[in-house]
Parts: sequence; C-alpha cells; structure tokens
Amino acid sequence: MYRYDEFDHALVRERVAEFSDQVARRASGALTEDEFKPLRLMNGVYLQLHAYMLRVAIPYGTFNSRQMRRLAHIARTYDKGYGHFTTRTNIQYNWPALTDLPAILSDLADVEMHAIQTSGNCIRNTTTDVFAGAAEDEIEDPRPWCEIIRQWSTIHPEFSFLPRKFKIAVIGAEKDRAAIRTHDVGLQIVRGEDGGTAFRVFVGGGQGRLPHIGQEIASAVPAADLLAYLTAILRAWNLLGRRDNIHKARIKILVASVGLEAFREEVDKHYATLRLEDLRIPEDEAERIKAYFAPPPFEDLPKASAPFERALLADPDFARFARNNVRRHRQPGYASVVVSLKPVGGVPGDITADQMDAVADLAERYGFDELRAAYEQNLVLPHVKLDDVPTVWRALLEAGLATANADLATDVIACPGLDYCSLANARSIPVAQALSKRLADMDYQERLGPVRINMSGCINACGHHHVGHIGVLGVDRKGEEYYQITVGGSPDEQAALGDIVGKSLPADEVAPAIQRTLDRYLQIRAEGERFIDTVRRVGPDPFRDAIYETLDAANA
Amino acid sequence: MKIVTANRLSDGRVIYAGVDNQPVERLDQASTLDDAAAEIVLAEVAARPDVFVNPYLVEVQDRAPSGRDRLKERIRAAGPTVGHSVAGGVG
Amino acid sequence: MLQTLEGVQNGPRLSVTTPLEEVEAAAAATDVLVLEFDAFRDGRGFSLAAVLRERGYAGRLIAAGKVLPDQARYLRRSGFDAVELAPGADTAAWARMDQAFSGSYQPAVDPAPTIWQRRRAASNDRDLQALADRLNRETEGKAASDILKAALDPALGLRIGTISSFGAESAALLHIVAETDPNVPVVFLETGQHFLQTLSYRTQLTKALGLTDVRLVTPDANEKATLDARDDLWKTDADACCDLRKVRPLARATVGFNALITGRKRYQAATRAALKPFEVLDGVLRINPLADWDADAVEAWLEAHDLPRHPLVEQGYRSIGCWPCTRAVEDDEEARAGRWSGMDKVECGIHLGKRQVAA
Repeated sequence: MYRYDEFDHALVRERVAEFSDQVARRASGALTEDEFKPLRLMNGVYLQLHAYMLRVAIPYGTFNSRQMRRLAHIARTYDKGYGHFTTRTNIQYNWPALTDLPAILSDLADVEMHAIQTSGNCIRNTTTDVFAGAAEDEIEDPRPWCEIIRQWSTIHPEFSFLPRKFKIAVIGAEKDRAAIRTHDVGLQIVRGEDGGTAFRVFVGGGQGRLPHIGQEIASAVPAADLLAYLTAILRAWNLLGRRDNIHKARIKILVASVGLEAFREEVDKHYATLRLEDLRIPEDEAERIKAYFAPPPFEDLPKASAPFERALLADPDFARFARNNVRRHRQPGYASVVVSLKPVGGVPGDITADQMDAVADLAERYGFDELRAAYEQNLVLPHVKLDDVPTVWRALLEAGLATANADLATDVIACPGLDYCSLANARSIPVAQALSKRLADMDYQERLGPVRINMSGCINACGHHHVGHIGVLGVDRKGEEYYQITVGGSPDEQAALGDIVGKSLPADEVAPAIQRTLDRYLQIRAEGERFIDTVRRVGPDPFRDAIYETLDAANA
Repeated sequence: MKIVTANRLSDGRVIYAGVDNQPVERLDQASTLDDAAAEIVLAEVAARPDVFVNPYLVEVQDRAPSGRDRLKERIRAAGPTVGHSVAGGVG
Repeated sequence: MLQTLEGVQNGPRLSVTTPLEEVEAAAAATDVLVLEFDAFRDGRGFSLAAVLRERGYAGRLIAAGKVLPDQARYLRRSGFDAVELAPGADTAAWARMDQAFSGSYQPAVDPAPTIWQRRRAASNDRDLQALADRLNRETEGKAASDILKAALDPALGLRIGTISSFGAESAALLHIVAETDPNVPVVFLETGQHFLQTLSYRTQLTKALGLTDVRLVTPDANEKATLDARDDLWKTDADACCDLRKVRPLARATVGFNALITGRKRYQAATRAALKPFEVLDGVLRINPLADWDADAVEAWLEAHDLPRHPLVEQGYRSIGCWPCTRAVEDDEEARAGRWSGMDKVECGIHLGKRQVAA
C-alpha cells in the first residue's frame, strides 16, 4: 500500500497546524461559527446532536495494522472506546472534544492518516472495490489511480468551495462492487484503443433527496488524461451548478437539467482550453505510485488447502462462515475474508477498540498487514492463506467478529440516524437492530441468499436506501418516526433505484413487513433466482401486497 | 413554555441556559421561560459564541420537549437510545 | 504571496455570479479586473480566475467581497494577484494562511513547482553515491533477488529500467527481474546488426518470462544516414559504430531512468573485476545483482530454472553482441574473447563513464 514520503508528511502536518490555527481563531472570535463551519467540515469535523463528530479518512478503504491500532488508541483516549465505519469507507468518532482535535489529528499524522476532505463542499474520499488487488475478474488494480486522485484533489485551489460535495469511485473490473453509478463521477478501468489503461466515465449519479443513476459521458479516457478530464467536469459544474438550493446543487441535478449531451459539450469546451501538459499525470509519478500497490509476496500454493478442507468437515459453523464470508482470490491457495460488523442486534458498522486491535493482529499475522474497509460497513482481510482461514475464524469468533452474514439479509447498511445525527428525521439503528434480531436464524438467511437491505434516517441517504434491494427511509410525520420502504434498488453494474411501495410504516412494523417481503420471495422465486432477480422479473407488486397485507387486514 | 439550548463550543456537548444564563448540562436545570423572556435569553446567549454554538428555542411541557422536534430533543437530552453510547453503557 | 490591498480598488468590478462569457468579455477590455465574492462559500471565483488565466488574461486580478484569510492560497493558486480587504482586516492571518503549506500536489495557475515535480527533481538531485554505498552495505552477502528487491522498494522513488542484450547469459538476470516485477522496463539495443538468432531468442525469452515492457531502441536514422549509410562502419571504426548504435541510443532511451539494472559480472573481464552490486555512472545508479556470479553460477541458474538458451551458445558463442564483431570462443578462452576479437577493445562503451569513452 501507499507510504508517505517527506512531501506527504509535510502536507498532513501543515494541515494539522492550519486546523489548529482555525480552532484558535474560532475560540478568539476572529472566526464566526458560520465561517468556521465550512472550514472544520473540510477537515471532517461535524457538530452533531450530542458532541462533535470526527470523520477520519481511510483513502480507498486501504489501511494497515499500525493504522488500525492507532484508530483503537484514539477511540480509547479521546472517545468512548469505539468507532463507526461509514459507507464512504471512513471511520467516525462520535464524542471527541474540539479542544482534543489537534492532538487527535497529530496522532493520526504519525501513522500517515488524516481527516482532510472527509466532509465539506469539496472532493471527498475516493472509494473503490473492497477486493481490489485480490479479485479474480480485475483487469487492473484501481487503487493507484485512487491515490493519484487523492493527491490531485487534496487542498485543490479551484475545487474546495464547490456548490456541494463531490464523490468519486473507481473500479477495475466489469463487476461493480463500489456502486460507481451512484457517484458524482464513477470510473471504470477499461483497455483503450492502444491497449493502455483508460477510464469509462459515468457522471451525475447520486443519492440524496433527488437520486440519479450516473450516465456514461466518455467510453475510454486515456489514463494520462484522467486528471484533465476530471478538471473539465468539475470546472463545468463549479461554474454552472446551482448554489441557491442545497438539494439541487449536486452535479446530478445539473446533468439532468441540461441533459447529458449539453453537459458533455460544456466539459469538452473546458477540456479544450486546459493546459493539458500540466495536468497530464507524469508517467514516472504514476509508475512510482503503482509500485506501492504491487501484489504482496504470495507463496506458490496448491488451489486446495488440507487444513481448510478439514475444518469445513469438522465444524459446521466454520463451514457456514466459509460459505458466506470467505471469497475467492486470484492467487491459488489464498482467500479474502469478510469481517462482518453486523452482529445480531448490533449497531451496523460499529467496532470497539479491542476489536480493532484484534483485527489489526490478524492482518499483521495472517494478511500481509493489509486491511480494507468496505462501503457496506464491514472490514476485509484481502489476502489470507486458505491454510490460515480456520485460525483467523477462531480469532474472529473470540473477538465477536465472526458473524457469518456477509451480503445476507442481516448485513444491513444503516446510517447513525437520529441517535447521533443532527440532520436525521428518524432513528435507523434501532430499526436495523430489530430487523437483525428478527432475521437472526442463519439457516433462514442462507435460504434467502444475498439480499441487500439499506436504511437511512433521512433523505440525505447516507444509508444508501435508494439502491438497497430493500430500502428503508426514515421520515418525520408530525413528530413521529415513520419508515418508507422501497423495493428493487441495486448498487451494482445493473444500478437501479428502488420503487416506493406505499405509505410509510411505524417503526415496529418495519421488521415484520420486511420479513413478509422476504417470505413472499421464497414463495415465488424461480429456480436459482436471487431476491433481486425475482423483483426484476415480477416487479414490486407482490412485495407491496406482502408488506401491507396484515395492515390492510387490520384496517378492514 | 420554552428553554434555550445549544452545543458547547469546547466539547460540543448539549447545554441549556440555566440560572443567570449559565450553561448547564441537564435539561432539568434549564430555565423555563415564557415567549418574551425566551427571546431575550436567546439573544443574550447568542452574544456568547465562545460558549453557546447555534443556540435556539425548544418548546417544553412539564420540563419535557413537546414541540415538533420533541423526539430529537429528548435524544439530545438523554443521549443515544441504542448502541455503545447509551447512558450507563460503554464509557 | 497574495498581495493584500486596503480600500476600494479601481477597475471593472464583477460579481463571481457573472456568467463566464461576460467575465471574459470584460477581461478582454481591461488590465485590472476585480471579482467580488458575494459569499466566501461561492467558489465560482476560483474557476473564473483559473479559466481567465489559462485563456491568456495577463492583467491584474483582484479578489474582493466576502473572502476569508483561509482562502488566501486558493485565490493565489487560482490566478488572483491580490485581495481587497476591509479596513482593519487581520493581514497577519492572511499572510499566515497564504503560507500554511510548503507544497501542493496538483498543478494550478501559480508557477511554483508542484510536489509531483519536486519529487522528480529530488529523485534526480539525490546523492546517488551515498545511496549506492548504503545499498551495498545493506545487501552485502544477499542473493541477487534481494539486491533487486532492495532497489525496487518504492520508498526509494527510483525510476528503474533494465538493459539486456538478450545474449548468452541474459536469461538469468531477466528471469530474476521477471520474478520480482515483470513490468520493469527492459531496454534492448536494436543495433540493426544482431544475429537473427538473437532476435528470435528475444521474442522467445520475453514470452517465456512474461516480461511486459521490452523496449527496442534503434540508432537515430539521421545519424546513421550520415555516419554509416552502408552499414559497414564496423570495418573501419568499431568504436564509432558502437557509439552510433549503442551508446547514443542508450543515452536517449534511458533519459527517463535514474537507475539501470545490468547483468554485468566481475568474472567477465578485467575491466569489471571491482564491480559492486550498486555503483553510480554518469549520474545514474547502476544495479548489478549478478556482480559476484561466475559462469558456473549462471549455468546452474539457467539449468535449475529450465530457462531457454540462446541458440548460438551450443555453437560455441559465450558472449554475444553484433554479428560483425562477435565470434565463437574456444573452451580455454575467456567468455568475452570473442567480442571485437583482434582489436584492442573489450567494452562497447555503454558500461563506461562518459569521460572514459572520450579518452
């Protein structure tokens, strides 16, 4: 993975000093709260319901054991002993004091971490495929390009006071495991005409109040021109995007209102006058960065592993974990292991400091010291020897991290909701917990197969409800929490927004209604059909009936 | 009746305007004010941005938030209802 | 530094909410333009400035209105010369925030070198001799692959290439390179005078080892037309021929590298007797992972890894260059005895420093 050189170190240290200066000017009155707010947000500091919240960047979700241990240290020293992984593959702390932030940021800088641009109207943390560098179907590891984008976008002079936030995701395979079409810009690595690296570019995707699926604006931008092309897109939007209405400021609204063709013309116009040579990624810099992401020193191993096979036979719990949380790796004899942060009845994405240390130990001993954060609010050990998977599983079991539900019905994405967030209309966590307890039976979940259930506590859609196979959105009805259900959303290469099935439900009705939806699927599915396939085949109606049947009966 | 609430600049914690407009941490220590007095207290604490961040008024009945945002204000007063930060839980 | 100005400045004054076309039209008719921010969060002004500068506006550009000291460097790097401040503004904060960072990654309108450019300069200016000494110390007694791995550590920031003749012993080095990183560029000097067997061997070996970036480097066509139009310079002046076909093309091909991996070994010639794994030649780090290998070691390696052999080896060629200047050797001769045989020449020049070549 990437390592800082003297320039990266200096920049992050200088950012800490700058932020400390800003905090001091806020305290002295030189900055008003209205002035300070955008400045602190650009360094990941929110003021939530109960306290400040600090969002720490995990660029493209890749980190190591030393960094994870430092995150644990921060949780213990400055917070309440835990952290929360987010759908942007960052980690956030819910209780830090403003006065402690300079010290926290300095602790982070020691291990090459920061909170730069984890919020604010700027270019946010670039996300990618959680299995980058391990997936079998990848044509190129997208992470070097994420790092190039990270550097280019860091403290960008032109794009730090944009109409709204701007999110980029990059994938290196046809299969989309990073939801790129729900991003302001989604990038897919393809082969250009000359056989070189190029990017298929989607623009104008986004969730929030007015969701849109990204549209293809370019089929193959050569890698060297990537930054110039991104500059042209951002410039077109920065000049033309709306600033009068926060809900209409994202690039998706501009693209939708002028149309893709007109927007492309605007981008091309800017591209034509850019000083291309300056923006062309220096080839040696690209090579230098790529070298950091070279595959770890894998051993030549047979495809099958005797200890792994033995454990499968010996322990049905391990076999279940292997079925659901262990993923094929492109290197024979290795696997990627999903560490679920969705225990039954737990808070999706939460992890205690002790658990952080436990995962750090496993990464160090069994995983080439590499960790990934998944946007589904889980962790991944990307490169584990199959021989070691049973040992890793036992250690996860001991740490309370071996829930075998990756991508199953209880692997719920949920935002912090009204328990923490000042923007929320309703709570998400208790609804997710109730659902998780109701669907806890693992045999039932395995019978259901992969189902993505996503929950947001407000229309900002941090919990990705629009693209959940089943989505749950908390709304406020005259001071009471209600939940609107959508069916048929999908975050992948067949991205789709879910259909709202009907009027919203009170909190305690949500979990039973979702279970009826899933039961209906079990009744009507065709052979080999996943939940989402069935929804695509039959539409939302049968599920609407299932959701409302007992309610209708009660009202009849 | 109304109370005045804000977050404290130094640590972001929920505070209310109490006796003599002093910041207090518990809702039951907040001064309960009629509309006119509430506006005056709000203006006074707004003039102390080094302590009170984004102050605003909350409707209360029998010292419990009662307006449209009553759920949010109850959660602000009591802490998260679930998870690691529930009062009496971790930390 | 962004200049701070007090009082209302002269010149046309436009809000940053003005459409780009109107701003451009105004700029075309003035040499001082004031862009006024209605709110500091309205970042259109940064793009307007950048576009004006990129499209050639060379006059003064002044920011005014609601801007914060924290935006000083954003203004400066987007193309503003100055900011108009209200009386009593804290100019110290403006100066401090303007200089809050010692570097920027991305290119912008300001001419200061970016971190990307400075990295490159730093890797050019670095004390390569000290690096070579350190690496020689650290890799003492280590295997060839460890020497190579040490050089390829990305933290060193070296821009590394390999040079290979695809000759009799080349497979050993290329095999170790490919095992470590098959994407390392391999430069092959296509002199135009190679044995046909060398060319087919190059193709065969490239494929067998999975090398992804073999670059063929040919002599400059104009130089060749002037110096050796009939391809017989070797007959009269072998040094000049090597210079035309090897030394100069290599210099051009390796301009982007500051480190080159070679397969040279001490045993090969008296000129190579003191060869170390790392050395500096003409400002380029030379990496010689096989420096302490002898012919038997090479042979054993080729054997152990079942590597394809150069077709001429079994005809008695043990060091292979261009056909006019290479002959097979007898068993009791040195391996390189067949190179420039009968001439007072043992090196083509690509492994000698510039001064030695000239001498």
